[in-house]
Amino acid sequence: MFVGPSGCGKTTMLRIIAGLDRDYRGRIVRPPGARVGMVFEEPRLLPWRSVEDNVRLAAPDADEARLAALFAILELTQHRTHYPGELSLGLARRVALARAFAIDPDVLILDEPLVSLDDALAAHLRDELMALVDSRPVTTLLVTHDVNDAVRLGDRIFLMSPRPAHVVAEMPIATPRTARSESEIAAIKTEIARRTNGNRTAATRDAS
Amino acid sequence: MTLGAAIGYLMGRVRTADRLGDPWLILLLNLPALVVIVLAYIWAGLTEVAAIAAIAINKLPNAVVTVREGARALDARLDEMASVFAIPRWRAFRHVVLPQLAPYIAAAARSGLSLVWKIVLVAELLGRPNGVGFEIGTAFQLFDITHILAYALAFAAVVLAIETFLVQPFERHASRWRQRAA
Repeated sequence: MFVGPSGCGKTTMLRIIAGLDRDYRGRIVRPPGARVGMVFEEPRLLPWRSVEDNVRLAAPDADEARLAALFAILELTQHRTHYPGELSLGLARRVALARAFAIDPDVLILDEPLVSLDDALAAHLRDELMALVDSRPVTTLLVTHDVNDAVRLGDRIFLMSPRPAHVVAEMPIATPRTARSESEIAAIKTEIARRTNGNRTAATRDAS
Repeated sequence: MTLGAAIGYLMGRVRTADRLGDPWLILLLNLPALVVIVLAYIWAGLTEVAAIAAIAINKLPNAVVTVREGARALDARLDEMASVFAIPRWRAFRHVVLPQLAPYIAAAARSGLSLVWKIVLVAELLGRPNGVGFEIGTAFQLFDITHILAYALAFAAVVLAIETFLVQPFERHASRWRQRAA
């Protein structure tokens, strides 16, 4: 879980990890032959393929039962034959999630998967995401500027500073995701706010 | 047309190919059709092959230019998606790239077809002992206006049929995902 202010280089870091950006210094070690599933900040679906074909194109080996289960979890079953242009942003994001999960990834990279959704939908999608991640062992990297998402979804939170970005703190969360109480979540949020030391994002999030 | 589309795709994607090909493209594009036809007849004789080759050379840059614009306008974000999900090259080309090129290919086919009709007649008029161009040449010598108009009408019918039964269905199929196809 990477948390940092807008423009600090979170997405760039994910792109480097995903192998899209080769202009960097340093070393990235990926497990050999690892399947990478990625959810971009915008859904990036093929507008000329139906929802189902979009998922199948990325995951040609996925069998029907698994896809059906995945579509059911993400409540996309009725939308399988729709084109992405007919979907709302929230639905399109779910399709992008379905595509990333359908390939049965070893590494899952999520770039702000819940951004610009209304609170109720974001909360719902967050639960779905949690259920999916829990259903199989997968290394998940999630980038967000939303402390709330980070605390509810993360096992280890990396706080990043504004540009030039560096990791300010690494916070492991011992309690399993599903067992976290509201008070615990509030405590972790306060801790994050303290560590980022009046960081703009954390401050505005705490105020809201 | 196929060759032109392939060259156009290459020139739109690979910077070096574009640099190398561009002067030739401009040259071919602006070289009068008549020059190409006459040269082809001189070099290859007054044969059917020479006529077809000359027409193909005239058509080629037209397809290259249109498809190159299409290749330049490809969405890099979808390419990235394809590369992250390790979609094999040919599948990615078919499902990610080709649908984006479809409107450009349709435009190249349409404008190319109209160009070819026109040039074919000139080629036939100049160096072939048969064909519509030859017939029109004869009609010209006899001032046979009825004959000429009859051929023009036949052309109109053929072109409209191709447009209705080939080009438009292709376009409809390729853009069925658009909410309101133009």
